[in-house]
Amino acid sequence: MGEYQLDTVLSAVADPTRRAILDRLRVSDARVTELAREFPISLNSTSKHIKVLERAQLVERHVRGRDHVLSLRAEALGEAVAWMTQYREFWEQRLAALEAFVLADADSDVDGDTDAVAGTTSGAER
Amino acid sequence: MTAVVTVSRRIAASAERLFDAWLDPKSLAVWMRRDGSAPSGAVADRRVGGAFAITMHDPNGSFVHAGNYTVIDRPHTLEFTWRSAATHQTDSVVRVTFRPDGDATVVEVRHELLPDAEAVQRHTEGWTEIIDRYARTLAEEGRA
Repeated sequence: MGEYQLDTVLSAVADPTRRAILDRLRVSDARVTELAREFPISLNSTSKHIKVLERAQLVERHVRGRDHVLSLRAEALGEAVAWMTQYREFWEQRLAALEAFVLADADSDVDGDTDAVAGTTSGAER
Repeated sequence: MTAVVTVSRRIAASAERLFDAWLDPKSLAVWMRRDGSAPSGAVADRRVGGAFAITMHDPNGSFVHAGNYTVIDRPHTLEFTWRSAATHQTDSVVRVTFRPDGDATVVEVRHELLPDAEAVQRHTEGWTEIIDRYARTLAEEGRA
């Protein structure tokens, strides 16, 4: 996903009504008229929000006869999701390792140092 | 782009002990590494503005994580910038807080990928929630 597309996605989900529409579409596909009925906004306003979501490729429109059916395309959030999943796992593993480290260290009492902040002060002073 | 990851863990140790383990290179070398891998290389200039670099090793190679300390408030808060291949070598911000809880300490890591200038202009509160929910949903689906 390029920068431009990502920005489009982020501004699309910055609006609470559009987030609510996405949440609704997570449950099931819906017709535009259904969404307009379920949300306390006009059909016109609903259409505008949906256009923004379509431009961000977060929502896909299928025309079935007279019905315009909308479905969610969560892949558009893929880059952000991938980053978050990766780092959530990373930090969860690190915190588990930190726990193992301090608990093991408490047993052996290797390092009673409580003044780490005052450690190195070498390097250029400003 | 902006995205925030927050994880926390309650650990049976003092806030001071845990804070120091985050800042001491000898300690970092031991625990700031991939499970089962060789100890990391860690250097740290432990003052605000000072730089650190942690080189983690795993079967796919060695990966450098580097940054600068922005807040050193022992034993409450440690904040630093964080750059790696995963952040495309642009700064992200990691804020670690230590909150005493009985005979233990809750360590919370809040990692924020900094938005680019354009995204800042458009930024409004709340959108990270939805991304977070999708991340969780996808993670659950991945496990199923």
